[in-house]
Amino acid sequence: MSKKKWISAALTMTMAMGMLSGAAVTVHADDAEEITWMFWDDLEATEDLITKGYKEIIDRYNTEYEGKYHVTPITTNLEEYDGKLNALIAAGQTPDCYICNPGPNMDVYVNAGAAADLTDILTNQEADWYATFTDGIFERMTYDGKIMAIPTNFAAACVYYNTEIFEEAGVEVPTTYDELLAVCQKIKDAGYTPISCSAGTAWCLSMVAGYLCDRQGVDLNAIASHEANWTDEACVAAGEKLKELSQYFQETAAGDSNDQATANLYNGEAAMLIQGSWAIAQINGSNPEFESKCGVFQFPGIEGANDPNRMIVKTDNLLMSSTTEHQDAVIALMKMFTDETAQKYTAEVGGKFPIIKDIEIDYEAAPAQLKYVQDIMANATGTFGFYNESLASVEAGDCFDNAMVDVFLGNQTPEEAFQTVQTFYEDNVWE
Amino acid sequence: MDKILRNKKAIFIFIAPAFLMFVVILVIPIFQMVYYSFCDYAALTPPKFTGLANYKKLLFKDATFRIALKNSIFFMIFSAISQQVVGLMLAVFLTNIPRGRNVFKNIYYLPCVLSSAALGLLWAFMFNPKIGLNQFLAKFGIKGPMWLMESKGFIVLPMWVIAFVALWQYVGQNMMLYMAQITGISRDVYEAAYIDGASKVKAFRYITMPLVKPMIVTSLSLNCIGSLKFFDLVYNMTQGGPNHRTEVLATQLYAEGFDYFKYGYASAISVILLILCLVVTLLVKKVIKVETYEA
Amino acid sequence: MGEKITVKKHSKKLSPVVIAVYVILVILAVIYIAPLLWMLSVSLKDNAELMAAPFAFPKAMQLANYAEAWTLGKLGKALLNSALVCGVTLFISMFFGAMAAFAIGRMRWKFAEGMHTFFLIGMMVPVHCILIPLFVRFAKLGMTNSRIGLMLPYITFSLPMTIFLLTGFFKSMPGELFEAAAIDGCGIYRCFFRIALPLCRTGFFVSGLMTFINNWNELLLAMVFISDSEKKTLPVTLTYFVGPYATNYVQMFAAIIIAIAPTVMVYCLFSNQIVEGLTTGAVKG
Repeated sequence: MSKKKWISAALTMTMAMGMLSGAAVTVHADDAEEITWMFWDDLEATEDLITKGYKEIIDRYNTEYEGKYHVTPITTNLEEYDGKLNALIAAGQTPDCYICNPGPNMDVYVNAGAAADLTDILTNQEADWYATFTDGIFERMTYDGKIMAIPTNFAAACVYYNTEIFEEAGVEVPTTYDELLAVCQKIKDAGYTPISCSAGTAWCLSMVAGYLCDRQGVDLNAIASHEANWTDEACVAAGEKLKELSQYFQETAAGDSNDQATANLYNGEAAMLIQGSWAIAQINGSNPEFESKCGVFQFPGIEGANDPNRMIVKTDNLLMSSTTEHQDAVIALMKMFTDETAQKYTAEVGGKFPIIKDIEIDYEAAPAQLKYVQDIMANATGTFGFYNESLASVEAGDCFDNAMVDVFLGNQTPEEAFQTVQTFYEDNVWE
Repeated sequence: MDKILRNKKAIFIFIAPAFLMFVVILVIPIFQMVYYSFCDYAALTPPKFTGLANYKKLLFKDATFRIALKNSIFFMIFSAISQQVVGLMLAVFLTNIPRGRNVFKNIYYLPCVLSSAALGLLWAFMFNPKIGLNQFLAKFGIKGPMWLMESKGFIVLPMWVIAFVALWQYVGQNMMLYMAQITGISRDVYEAAYIDGASKVKAFRYITMPLVKPMIVTSLSLNCIGSLKFFDLVYNMTQGGPNHRTEVLATQLYAEGFDYFKYGYASAISVILLILCLVVTLLVKKVIKVETYEA
Repeated sequence: MGEKITVKKHSKKLSPVVIAVYVILVILAVIYIAPLLWMLSVSLKDNAELMAAPFAFPKAMQLANYAEAWTLGKLGKALLNSALVCGVTLFISMFFGAMAAFAIGRMRWKFAEGMHTFFLIGMMVPVHCILIPLFVRFAKLGMTNSRIGLMLPYITFSLPMTIFLLTGFFKSMPGELFEAAAIDGCGIYRCFFRIALPLCRTGFFVSGLMTFINNWNELLLAMVFISDSEKKTLPVTLTYFVGPYATNYVQMFAAIIIAIAPTVMVYCLFSNQIVEGLTTGAVKG
């Protein structure tokens, strides 16, 4: 083969590639500093009120800093988010600013060096901004004393209930697990579904399991360091309670998605729903009449076990790329996510909680349930994360979720199910 | 003439683009995949050679992999048999009816050209306990099972459901293959047989069957490889759940690779999938040889 | 002639068996059509109606679902992307495939058979196997978010089938044609472009149809490789309607209808040719 032939072949290839690449070139002809922000929901197509609020923030930022900074959102759907973010990081194109779940997810990006250390910026350069945040809110974002992310809101998981059904069945809000069982039985006798839950969307069931575990006194930190085991009595007892409670779920719980589970509550079929506070917007949006009959109480405690005033909460967090060349633009964006306008929206419309202090929330404008959740939060003695976001890895979280689904479906006894999680930890975590 | 057909330069130019694409996009990545399969490789850390560790874990410790393998093989066998039988049956029916052959044929073939992502979503809702089929059955007082969540038995109900949906979607392909073969059989052969007093059943047994036999092998190999690669319907109907019970090799590979970012581990699954595909193809090839000797 | 008449008479008698066969066929046809019609009816309801009475006729035609699905789901863009990616893939894979097939099927050289087998092996390789290495490579090259990154594997995976089919077509062309051309002084390239390509129209139709439909419906690669919502293809867009905390079912169904409508329409218009074409492809494959 002569050189010439190679060249002609190479040319054929190059020409074909050239033809293709013409279609993919995008041009930014703007003098403003251009940054990217990556998010896990489509800003246009969404039904989610928090996402809608984020879109407002992005628009506000681009108007306010016109000619100076400009942010372009990169959106994916939730499921593909981490895959896409990983690809961008691997390609050296980490978005300047990106959203992330707390827990193992954030660990991955922090450990890979994809997140910038914000400690100095927060404590020195922007101390005023830092001072606006709620105390202790940075706890789950701190790694070896370094703050790696800022929160934009938080949500809390509670029990939402239909006050009319409670009245009809003649029951009061339960404060202990045993009372909850009694209430369920009475509601069942009155002809309603006591609890609406979704096992089709595994994390919904897992949230109930997480509460039961915590109420039983399962200590995730002890498990992480192998001072405790998944096969301990507390876990198994929580599994058994989950099984016991699940007899009061709606018949189709195994297959229902979380939307359908939520619909059961606001359609008046089910008396209780255990969900994060983001469900408030969905409930009131789908059935405005339900707002006035919807009450909220905290997940009951288990007598003689752990503190019953601990709440499951979850923050949305923003990370800054460790390689960004536009730090000021990113900080300006982060500030906008946490300013009063954005935070008021979060509470009054979005149904989640602000993460800054000294903010006047107009509870008349906000959904009624938000106030109830706020009151519960005021009495909370501690918080913990979603179980599937608090374990050693994303896979470990899924393993827990799946084990709980199996307990619910009756495929495994609680002992067997927790043994599965235990084995996973033995093989993958505690090595 | 011979000279221009032996023009080496022309041959090279003709072959080069396709060959290069094949090497760059297919062959090199396959070797890379084999290498990754011996590595501990998470998305954001560089690959680290660990020898057979991934395979050891996959084959001896991973319960999900065993389920995925079982389901994939079940799916392959079920598809192979059901698609052949139903496809041949439809072909025989359609070639023997006096009217409406085209209409029926086109209706049965339609799902073959539609996106299985779209159809997967459709069927997922069809089998949703609140919205779909069960509500319909309830009108007749029948309480339907949890189609996509039932998880007892060796092959779980959702797997059967998915297999039947796949049958629904793809059986048109086999039907057409057989119809082409049957209509290719000369009318005279049948006429002669009828004149000799053969019944339709006999004609089927002694004329149609032997003549469509070679086609069985073709469509069988298409079915087998297609079902080993199967992804779209499972992903859109169950995502492998509940608790991995409907996982197939392709969905497990996707989850390990793109949910948990265990690239090395996922590569080991790919290697096994590739070996399976090659083995099945070789087996079918062997059968083809046997067939030609018989004929 | 006489024979034909007897055949007709033979089949015109509607025996009980034939009636039974018709009953089965009609039931099956319902199983095929009903889900699609159900989807259509759902797409015209609102969510509350869907939850309350999934099988009833829609009360008022909610055509707004379609408008919303179209704009919110960016379906117009997705349709364009799909058309662009599939169109370019189709063109290039046909062209490259035809060249290779011509060299394998028509030209005389030692490794023709070996090359044929080499490409055929490609048919056995599931696309999943190259997903991760290719993704890693493309990520490093910054190509994970471009349409080219999607076209390259599409083209590559369309090649084996194309080459296989076209080789058969080229082989079956009468040799005299090329000999006559050679005597007239045609070079090999003219033979290819002027004689072989035009004569291979059926082959192009058949393999082009298979290529196009396969890539049009492809989900996995598109899902993994494209992250920019401006560059999504249709099947991926559909999965976006399933939201993290809430799903708008009716809109999703409307989107599905929009997504499959072009295929269904083209299919209805040309069903006979399409079915015949695809079958020819598969028979030879």
